[in-house]
Amino acid sequence: MPLPQDALWYKDAVVYQVHVRAFYDSNADGRGDFRGLAQKLDYLQDLGINTIWLMPFFPSPLRDDGYDIADYHSVHPSYGVLEDFKAFLDGAHQRGIRVIIEMVLNHTSDQHPWFQESRSSHDNPKRDWYVWSDTDTRYRGTRIIFLDTELSNWAWDPVSKQYYWHRFFSHQPDLNYDNPAVRETMWGVMKFWLDMGVDGFRLDAVPYLVEREGTNCENLPETHVIIQDFRRRLDEEYPGRMLLAEANQWPADLRPYFGGGNEFHMAFHFPLMPRMFMGLKLEDRKPITEILQQTPAIPENCQWCLFLRNHDELTLEMVTDIERDYMYDEYAKDRSMRLNLGIRRRLAPLLDNDRRRIELMNGMLMSLPGTPIVYYGDEIGMGDNVNLGDRNGVRTPMQWDGGWNGGFSTADPESLYSPLMLNPVYGYQAVNVQSQKRFDHSLLSWMKRLIRIRKSLAVFGRGSIEFLYPANHRVLAYVRQYGKDAILVVNNLSSSAQAVELDLRHYKGNILIEMFGRNIFPRIGDLPYLLTLGPYQFYWFRLRKI
Amino acid sequence: MPEETILNDDFLRELMNVGEVDLLVGVPTYNDARTVGQVVQAIRSGLLKYFPRQRAAIINADGGSKDNTQELVRAASISDMHHADNLYALRTLHCISTRYTGTPSSGTALHTIMAASDLLRANACAVISPDSTSITPEWIQTLLQPVVNDVNDWVTPVYRRHKFEGLLIRNLLYPMNRAVYSSRVREPYPTDFAFSGRFASHVAGLDTWSEEAARVGAEMYLTIAAITGKFRIVQTYLGPKSRGEGAPADLVAAMRRSVGTLFWSLDSTFNIWSADLDPEPVVTIGPEHELDPEPLRFNRKRLHDMFARGVGELEPVLRSILSHSTLCQVQQVASSPEGELGYTDELWAHTVYEFAAAYHKSVISRDHIVQALAPLYRGRTYTFLAENRDNSPEALESNVEALCLAFERSKPYLLEMWNGRK
Repeated sequence: MPLPQDALWYKDAVVYQVHVRAFYDSNADGRGDFRGLAQKLDYLQDLGINTIWLMPFFPSPLRDDGYDIADYHSVHPSYGVLEDFKAFLDGAHQRGIRVIIEMVLNHTSDQHPWFQESRSSHDNPKRDWYVWSDTDTRYRGTRIIFLDTELSNWAWDPVSKQYYWHRFFSHQPDLNYDNPAVRETMWGVMKFWLDMGVDGFRLDAVPYLVEREGTNCENLPETHVIIQDFRRRLDEEYPGRMLLAEANQWPADLRPYFGGGNEFHMAFHFPLMPRMFMGLKLEDRKPITEILQQTPAIPENCQWCLFLRNHDELTLEMVTDIERDYMYDEYAKDRSMRLNLGIRRRLAPLLDNDRRRIELMNGMLMSLPGTPIVYYGDEIGMGDNVNLGDRNGVRTPMQWDGGWNGGFSTADPESLYSPLMLNPVYGYQAVNVQSQKRFDHSLLSWMKRLIRIRKSLAVFGRGSIEFLYPANHRVLAYVRQYGKDAILVVNNLSSSAQAVELDLRHYKGNILIEMFGRNIFPRIGDLPYLLTLGPYQFYWFRLRKI
Repeated sequence: MPEETILNDDFLRELMNVGEVDLLVGVPTYNDARTVGQVVQAIRSGLLKYFPRQRAAIINADGGSKDNTQELVRAASISDMHHADNLYALRTLHCISTRYTGTPSSGTALHTIMAASDLLRANACAVISPDSTSITPEWIQTLLQPVVNDVNDWVTPVYRRHKFEGLLIRNLLYPMNRAVYSSRVREPYPTDFAFSGRFASHVAGLDTWSEEAARVGAEMYLTIAAITGKFRIVQTYLGPKSRGEGAPADLVAAMRRSVGTLFWSLDSTFNIWSADLDPEPVVTIGPEHELDPEPLRFNRKRLHDMFARGVGELEPVLRSILSHSTLCQVQQVASSPEGELGYTDELWAHTVYEFAAAYHKSVISRDHIVQALAPLYRGRTYTFLAENRDNSPEALESNVEALCLAFERSKPYLLEMWNGRK
């Protein structure tokens, strides 16, 4: 199946986020690998996703799950070799699936040879590749991101007797982007993978590339200049490839990362995600409509990336204090579920394994403006293990069947990179792909239908949005429109049945066609359009003037 | 079901949109455009500040205002778009306004609010007078918290008042209510109060809303319903109530709403109050009474004249209401020169009880009975003002306590009048 040649392909994408290590182990060493991932491409094609986002797979001491890269030009030996990656990439492309890889620009592992050289002496040519200081008092206005583990953004290097700058863990020294050699080298890294055929990069931690005294060292103009330069080169040399920004910021602060359509193609909408959970718990659309009203317009060739859960904690950085307290109380009563400023849980446990709420949240994910990302395992409702440290509880092995190691690996269970989920609710014997494939009404089957319908109309990925504000605040309703196509989405955020009257006079004369069952609903007239919805029910209607 | 008749279809549709709530604040209005906006803003701030997580709604029951009162209430509503000043709303706060049918009355307004509260299954509900311009956001917390904590059903206010404000309450409503029902509610006729969902359900379903006394004096009626229904009552200190707020422009009308309803309630609650009641202490959150000792000018001569003239002009009416002995004593007091007028506690208690008994027996039109009490109340007020002109708040409070004791001592006399002659 050839890849569609549309330059805006990312707007129509349904992305599947996966960690190679967690997906499928082909060589019985207890860790997933590229050969294993390649073997599961048919599953992903059947699911309906058309883009894979790979988490870091580079050689790394794995002290931050691969975000501490020690070599940008290779594959971690546990996951295979470059040829394995290439074979996987080709296999994906043959199935019409694009591949986005992680690119950690901001920092390396302290085990990276660049850092080893840099720390070896003050005169080393790579000394200036990192940010060194005699004191730990520079850039005092900069917040600490990993509050639970780090006390400062500076760490003392006993080898070279200076402090080095790190925005994340102290074993992840920040690269110095004021050094042109660093910028050239990192573009060289990107070229390496682009030449191999990857379709885009998810650029990690982009707001933090540059430091300046007297600022908070985030979102600085110099950072945008660097991104614009990368984008210009990308467009010139690799048209049709895509850059996705990871910048956990407010919408207004994120907007500059799109520039005039000359920086990132896509950026995660971080503040929306917690508000979807909040809206559901409050049974009130306000948090969702409010944040989307505050979201500025972006250039035509740009797109937001939406997600419910990912490999990190459910971040609560982009919420107010009152909202954070509420989220903690409602979604992380057990303090062990909290990490940094977030909640380290998967989708299904967050929603009490309530199928109706899981469907509603996925329905919103797929129908709000943006490109949706499905985190591996969430399509079958996998659980989490908060007893594992850091964010490892949401990175447990994919559950393929009810057999040995859940079908993930034939290795001894003790040798797996992570314990499997074993409990009777979320364990692999209860929640797995094989069992869900057998039933049309399983979550997996439902997700396939949802994705298929999402992909059936470009309006989901490209359409405008107009919120309706029915007096019933428990109902979130909006019309998406793209060209002649228009869809009406109505979500009941509450746990009880609701009646709602929608002002659809603007669409008078249209009939409503429910997109899952293709049933026809009454024609829109002058009167408010009355709908009733069951608990957590949602409708997708296609508006047709027939 | 009473709510089927009192809630019109448009209002019902709005309530459907609000859905179940935890908290409800009602604002009964009639031509209150001058103050209602400020009051609703304070309510909204109080809800957002102190109950950010709770599902809440503000409901305005309007008697048909012609001065844009309803529009002002609706304008204070928070939609998806708007924030309160310096306050962040976690969820939608509905603010809806309805025009109830019939003539404007606090009873119909409160019945509407209580029916809405019952229908929305509010856990706690407060009612704020639209002219309570001294309201602060803290009032909302102070009123609702005792109910939210699931301890209390009826919350009445205690205000910081000038020592010569609230005279009708101090001289009649509090002492008589306390004596009759053995419940020390300081403000039995509150304009700002709170109640539980349990209480709202109970009261919304009562048949007595159709009666005139319940309609015009609903606040008094609700207090009595809470006492006689054995609901858990608490008083809570709200702070100052602006001078003149809620002061009745028309004494007779005020007496109809309060005293008339108190008298009327005695009929249906006779079995309760005629029994030996154990005194029910009422917990007060904050000071039980706070008085502002600043001097306040009263035209005592006018009071004296109105009292003396009223006793003279209404003699035939008073003769049908009062016992011979009491009437003689009242006439004697009324004939006293201005400086020597002394309407004693005992005489006043007997006077009021005889009026109550006459009301019970409807010796003349009940409305005329209440009207006829007005000049005598002026005489009592004259005495109260004279006695306490130079008193400290503590001394004044001591005098109020003495009056209450006089009413309590005279309760057997009320029973005697109730069952006896005339």
